[in-house]
Amino acid sequence: MIRLSPQAHQRRVMIAMAVYVAVLLWVWPLARAAEAALPKTAYALTPVPPLLYVIWLMARRVLAGDELEQRTHLIGLGVAAAAVSIYGIVGGFLAAAHVLTPEASAAALVWIFPLLVVVYAAARAHAARRYGGACADADASAALRFLYLAAIFAAIAAWVHLRHGDAGDAGLAAGMAVVMLGCAAFLALRQRLRRRARDE
Amino acid sequence: MKNHIRELREQRGWSQGDLAEKLDVSRQTVNAIETGKYDPSLPLAFRLAKVFRQPIEFLFEPGKD
Repeated sequence: MIRLSPQAHQRRVMIAMAVYVAVLLWVWPLARAAEAALPKTAYALTPVPPLLYVIWLMARRVLAGDELEQRTHLIGLGVAAAAVSIYGIVGGFLAAAHVLTPEASAAALVWIFPLLVVVYAAARAHAARRYGGACADADASAALRFLYLAAIFAAIAAWVHLRHGDAGDAGLAAGMAVVMLGCAAFLALRQRLRRRARDE
Repeated sequence: MKNHIRELREQRGWSQGDLAEKLDVSRQTVNAIETGKYDPSLPLAFRLAKVFRQPIEFLFEPGKD
């Protein structure tokens, strides 16, 4: 299997996630309005293909990796599985006790995959650093990419708000922008601290 | 475990990237092996021995434990 460079992999994941968000904002809401079962189901499942593509990219990356890379993937996936399990157990008990409304439970289910991806990426990066990987320059380029994504999500939030004023959709995009901005700030800070430590 | 991978690589004038390409692993993996942060599997240790044309026991030395 041909090994994709980390940049090529990240670029493909980010394009897929941008498609996912666009579908979630503009196509998926049609599922609520549709009345017939078939179009309703089709609209409801439109966000799934980009996520399947991301899962395929992740599987491809793991399969094409060498033994150390596969070990760090395994650590990342193990930590992510633990985090998602805890999230599922807590959410499940809260939903069963009717603390969460059915709408909140459905929204919580949608966040399982993003949670898995974020925890997996963080845990894998931590494991790779323990083995001497992930240099400061990689942090810099990743921070820049997160900054671009934050700007894109902020623009989407503003556009949705101005166009049809759907508070839920605008809030989702604004929330994603804040998360991306937080990731960019974290990576930039880490890069700065590492450079300082290296210079001393 | 201690190893002599870096010395052998530098003797041959190879970069970490060159060695990674010969072993079909990432540069980070070569770096992790050289710095002693990662002990390679037996198949990878044999590939290293083949690339350097040295016996495995010459490449690796057992550590204190």
